[in-house]
Amino acid sequence: MNKIYLWGIIVTVAMLAFTYVSVIGSKGGFNGDIVNMLAVAGAVALVIITVFVVIKYVRQMQVDTADGDLADENWDGIGEYYNPIPTGWAIIYLATMVWGIWYFVAGYPVNSYSQIGEYNEDVAVHNAKFEKEYASITGDRLVEMGESVFLAECKVCHGLAADGIDGKAADLTVRLESVTVKDVIVNGSTNSLMNEGSSMPGRDGLMNANKDYAPITDSEIDAVSVYVANGMSGEGADVFAGACASCHGTDGKGISDLAPNIASYDTTLLVNVLNHGKKGSIGAMPAFDRLNAKQKEAVSAYIISLSKGE
Amino acid sequence: MFHWLEKHPFFFALSVFVVIAFAGLVEIVPNFAQASRPLVGTAPYSTLELAGRHVYIKNSCNACHSQLIRPFKSETDRYGHYSLSGEYAYDRPFLWGSKRTGPDLMRVGNYRTTDWHENHMKDPAAVVPGSIMPKYTWLYENETDVATAYAEQLTIAQFFSTPYNTPIPMKDGSSKIIKMGDSIAEANALALEEAKVIVADMKDQDIKDAVASGKIPEIVAIIAYMNSLK
Repeated sequence: MNKIYLWGIIVTVAMLAFTYVSVIGSKGGFNGDIVNMLAVAGAVALVIITVFVVIKYVRQMQVDTADGDLADENWDGIGEYYNPIPTGWAIIYLATMVWGIWYFVAGYPVNSYSQIGEYNEDVAVHNAKFEKEYASITGDRLVEMGESVFLAECKVCHGLAADGIDGKAADLTVRLESVTVKDVIVNGSTNSLMNEGSSMPGRDGLMNANKDYAPITDSEIDAVSVYVANGMSGEGADVFAGACASCHGTDGKGISDLAPNIASYDTTLLVNVLNHGKKGSIGAMPAFDRLNAKQKEAVSAYIISLSKGE
Repeated sequence: MFHWLEKHPFFFALSVFVVIAFAGLVEIVPNFAQASRPLVGTAPYSTLELAGRHVYIKNSCNACHSQLIRPFKSETDRYGHYSLSGEYAYDRPFLWGSKRTGPDLMRVGNYRTTDWHENHMKDPAAVVPGSIMPKYTWLYENETDVATAYAEQLTIAQFFSTPYNTPIPMKDGSSKIIKMGDSIAEANALALEEAKVIVADMKDQDIKDAVASGKIPEIVAIIAYMNSLK
């Protein structure tokens, strides 16, 4: 047996042993990880292929003799065998040239490429897909979509549970908290959330019709705040009827183009908040007008579903 | 001449460089000069915003937060319109960043508010569960370096003709004037004026008291800067 085969076997065994020691023998080993196994399989294949290829060419150098037809040309005694390119290579070479021309001219034209154009195409494709799949969803699927938009856009302020993170933002699991109601009654509101074009007066402008239009008192404010926050129940009903009902309706559900629904959330109100943002007793909320109409509707549906869960 | 160049490798290399650089000049410079002009609606930083930008750089915010929205649907959905070159006209240096450990802040002023930043910088994990952003409590104690911001304003106004105290066209057709003081005292007064607008929306009584007594904590400056990113 030629010495080189012996060396080949020795090197292969040594390298495989090294691989074994460094991977399988190490702490953790394969660790049941497919990536580790693939890497080791690759290492083993590499060792074997390398050794065999080296042996093949070293043998060839040792035993091969030159033969074939010499070309006519001769340079200072150095000749060249006539060695035509294999047909397969020639075909691939020509096909690559054809493909190259097609690629630059038609397939991926260098002149007409624009990054923004590609972006616009992406957006158009996405919008068409959105339109097709989601434009008409309702019910649970709408709420589900609203939840995912909420988790992407709203949770950083309102919290994962939509509870406003200890008063850092509005608690969306209830329609209103008594502190919020109180703040609005004392300071008024100019948010115009129903596009009503008028603003709610502060305490100086609120009279109790049931008490001969006397200005609203501190105790009345406290009572009606709790009444509204409790979902229009408990004490304070008479104050509400006297001071608030003329705009917000006797049931607190609002009057269109005049005052928002303060008994429960509704889509019009929530979409308006998303479109314009608002500034209230807790702080400012920025507008989220970059959401599309369906997403706004979905977020509203989700928020409505949250407060109904109580 | 070519024969001479062939015998002098240094000058040969130099002329190769000049020939290739010429192509670059012709291709790149005109386009760059055009694209780096400020857009309508892009205004220079006011004194307090610039001081806040210094706080941002000092705390290496740009190591984790990029300021460059790429034109991909997934990015524009999350961060807003993709960035345009002209929007960085007054950013020296720009803070594009190359790594997003935290979210992009290019347009953070559009979707976060003063009181949110106030809560968030104090304890990020309390606002965003699982956030790995550290607490930046010292921003609530350190005082803003308005003098350095003012020095930068003076420099860029003089050397780069940054348009302070002149009307700047806005997107809605109106114009806006970004004021720069004539003296450090005036710059301090301008910064304090801006700070008062910011603290009106803040909750921390210590910060409010500090601003009322004429001091500007760094948190106020960095919020002014955050709010200016639109």
